[in-house]
Amino acid sequence: MTRYVLGRLVVSVIVLLGISAVVFFLLHIVSESPGRIVLGQRASPQAVAAFNSEHGFDRPVVVQYFSYLGQLLHGDLGRSYKLNESVAALLRQNAPRSAMLSLVGLVLALLIAVPLGIVQAVRRNSATDRVTTGIAYVLYATPGFLLGLLLISVFSQTWQIFPAEASQSHTMWAVFTDPRAMALPVLTLAVTSIAIFSQYQRSSALEQLGQDYIRLARAKGLPERLVLRRHLLRNACLPLITLVGLMIPSLLAGNLIVESLFNYPGLGLLFLNSLQREDYPVLLAYTLIGGVLTVLGNFAADLAVARADRRIELTK
Amino acid sequence: MTVESVSEIAGSGAGAEGPVLQISDLSVEIRSGDRLVRPVRELSLELARGETLGIVGETGSGKSMTGLAVLGMLPPGGKVTSGSIRYDGRELVGLDASHYRALRGRDIAMVFQDSLTALNPTRRIGDQVAEPLRIPRAGAPGMSRAEAAARVEEMLGLVGIPHPSERMNDFPHQLSGGMRQRVMIAIALICQPRLVIADEPTTALDVTIQAEILELLDGLRERLGMAMILVTHDMGVIARHADRVGVMYAGRLVESGPTRQLFADTRHRYTQALLASIPTLEQDRGRDLISIPGAPPDLAMAAVGCPFAPRCVAATDRCTDDYPPMTAAAPGHDFACWVPASGRLVVDELPLAPVAGVAIAAEPRLELRDLRQEYPVGGGAMLSRRRTVKAVSGVSFSVAAGETFGLVGESGCGKSSLGRMIVALDRPTAGEVVLEGESVTTMSTRALSSRRAQLQMMFQDSHAALDPRMRVGTILREPLAIQGVGSRAERTDRARSLLADVGLPAGVLERYPHELSGGQRQRIGLARALALDPTVLVADEPVSALDVSIRSQVLNLMRRTQRERGLTSVVISHDLAVVRYLADRVGVMYLGKLVEIGDTAEVYGSPAHPYTAGLLAAVPDPDPERPADADAGRVRGELPSPIDPPSGCRFRTRCPLASEECALVEPLPRPISDTHEVACHHPLQPVLSTATAGVQVTGEGEPR
Repeated sequence: MTRYVLGRLVVSVIVLLGISAVVFFLLHIVSESPGRIVLGQRASPQAVAAFNSEHGFDRPVVVQYFSYLGQLLHGDLGRSYKLNESVAALLRQNAPRSAMLSLVGLVLALLIAVPLGIVQAVRRNSATDRVTTGIAYVLYATPGFLLGLLLISVFSQTWQIFPAEASQSHTMWAVFTDPRAMALPVLTLAVTSIAIFSQYQRSSALEQLGQDYIRLARAKGLPERLVLRRHLLRNACLPLITLVGLMIPSLLAGNLIVESLFNYPGLGLLFLNSLQREDYPVLLAYTLIGGVLTVLGNFAADLAVARADRRIELTK
Repeated sequence: MTVESVSEIAGSGAGAEGPVLQISDLSVEIRSGDRLVRPVRELSLELARGETLGIVGETGSGKSMTGLAVLGMLPPGGKVTSGSIRYDGRELVGLDASHYRALRGRDIAMVFQDSLTALNPTRRIGDQVAEPLRIPRAGAPGMSRAEAAARVEEMLGLVGIPHPSERMNDFPHQLSGGMRQRVMIAIALICQPRLVIADEPTTALDVTIQAEILELLDGLRERLGMAMILVTHDMGVIARHADRVGVMYAGRLVESGPTRQLFADTRHRYTQALLASIPTLEQDRGRDLISIPGAPPDLAMAAVGCPFAPRCVAATDRCTDDYPPMTAAAPGHDFACWVPASGRLVVDELPLAPVAGVAIAAEPRLELRDLRQEYPVGGGAMLSRRRTVKAVSGVSFSVAAGETFGLVGESGCGKSSLGRMIVALDRPTAGEVVLEGESVTTMSTRALSSRRAQLQMMFQDSHAALDPRMRVGTILREPLAIQGVGSRAERTDRARSLLADVGLPAGVLERYPHELSGGQRQRIGLARALALDPTVLVADEPVSALDVSIRSQVLNLMRRTQRERGLTSVVISHDLAVVRYLADRVGVMYLGKLVEIGDTAEVYGSPAHPYTAGLLAAVPDPDPERPADADAGRVRGELPSPIDPPSGCRFRTRCPLASEECALVEPLPRPISDTHEVACHHPLQPVLSTATAGVQVTGEGEPR
């Protein structure tokens, strides 16, 4: 087990190195001269060259990459070209807000989707099942921004229950104390996940319901409610664990749309703004975070599945 | 209904003398979509206290459905349409869900067939066994955790699980198949029910384990005074373990009576044919097996007359028009047949086609030289010693042209791995397979691909081995197309003639595998294997997925095909009777090694290895009159792990004759006769010479 974890960590580091290299070189191709971006179009070529040599941007790209890696090891993600702040500080401000949005959305989605999928499986082919499946497919096919706009138009403009803009507060605590402002962003994020998760859960529960151990549980005299809770639930959730692990990085992407739609100052919004400002160090950091989340999400899912299902031995 | 009255009902009749279970005129319907199936039709039977009733029948005969109906657990869409089921004098049909639940697990319990799927993979054994005790039933609270744990430990000990307190914390996959089946029995018996329904409790197990489990069930049933319904397709199991037998066909009980009486004086034509068609260890190898033509009827059809009439040799017009009433043959022995038989078929008097002998060439066509197959498991990564499963550890034998070689052994002994290596589906870790003097193992991939035509395989599970999206015609043409044989039209002609060879009409060409019955699919499997006119055919468990009445048809077909085509074949099976019927020579495998090899008659007649003798002793004999020499040389315990096989003789851990020598010296094959060899230090037959008995175990330190 320990050996497995160590092995996976080594592989993860290699993957992340790969990602960082690819992204770094791509960004270098896009913008060879950071000085031009920082100083603007009107700056003299001499000034730009002076800036570049001062900050080491005139060195060969490979050298630049390794010095970037060296800084990374010390937790230094570089400085924003435009915001006069270190990238690390920017992330520190924005990441918790994104994390909270994603986490609340994810938990909400699971709390709804897991029981929903099981109910659908138990009542398969009933009217409830068919209608739910239909709605799920429609929602799954709806782009996030459209969904967000629809929610805004219904809940914020027509009925005026929830504000159209997310909490702008700069402390996490304030965000927590203003749940109304977070309702629509969380909902937008959760709805798509619910659609996917519930259909996944439905088919997995259907498969498990046909198994003999369910029949045995009934033959023991267990009431149906306990058959589902004690025997079906955990086994039916196993595939979902993997799916959630795979979805973690895409939650980050989902944030991108939701955050910009509701003007919520998280990582996604930071990324979008940086993209417009050609603020490459921030973009690079954001991409790396995506990579880290992908690797960690998979890893965590594998560990969780092995924990929940002892038949799986973690070996490589 | 109040809590008190519920417990009163449950307890009522406890001291009464009436039958535990009384089913009368039971009919069951299952509706799924537009399809209406009637799996149980007007069934009546009774079960006395402490009695074992064997229900025997083929797939779809309604035997399992009867059991589920008693438990009130019919599948979705299923319902009892008429009749009654009385448990302890109390009507169960129409009983509401909560009262039914109070009975389930406590009064009526069930043992399922496949312990791997019937135990929850993600919960600990102890919890699963304790569950029936811990459920609050009809108002009464369940047992406390500690109290239940003590009971579970006792029960696990009772069903023969070593170190029960430790095993309670295991998950199902950590136990062997036999141990899991014991756990299933513990779950069924934990509340000391008065009725146990065991649905094919040993079908998934090896014969050696099967015998132990059935004895365990018998013993516990007697000790705890339970009645049992033993649902099975195996007449041998019935003969040995049931007090009374009910034979089911197409949803109906066609004959029932005391076991000995029914076996001795069989009256229904179906029972008679079924008993006669089972290949036994005494089978006359020179002739065809008795087979029942056709296949069981579709239960979606409304039935007029006797459902067996279309397959019955004695059927008259009356049989097809009216269903025969239950008639008493003797007190307690009833049957439903217009033209009853009188007693068992005397096989010797039947006009069965003789099977031609073959001239077996002296020249070996297929040779296996010290074949080994090892594959790594688990661990492995980073700084660890690689563990390997030693599936096959040095097997050598040769098969002459036209000869059929049988391989027997328990599951996990490596016989299937060996089969796959012979047809070059897997490459051996060491050793080689030589076909007509040429090594298939060292051959280049290109040379091998044309050679493959000569090496064909027939698989066990024809459902999985035939592509569900291909029509039969395409399936049969595919090997020809791959090897570039003939034009498209010629290939179709060939497919048609292959179908005729395996006794199927040409119309089957356009069908999909799922439209065919199990027996028909297995015929397609054989036809596909024959398509390229192979010289060597490996058949891995060719009939073990088939029902008894279909099995003999396919066996006859295989035997005839082998003879007519002069095929060199290797038949792999756990079923000793099947191998005995098909094979000229036989090899007995144990944990990756060949322990005995010889002429079929010699090996079966005078087994020299204690393992072979034990296997033969464990085969349940479909004859209740035969004395049960149960303990004589029976193989006990379970197959050790092929990752760490025992030193010296691998069988020594289960061998009644094992001595110190067996751990230290690995036995080498020694001749019993010119055509019979055994690798054992204490052979049951005298060996010809004592040249080299074995090789000293090498390796560091003490032998394990």
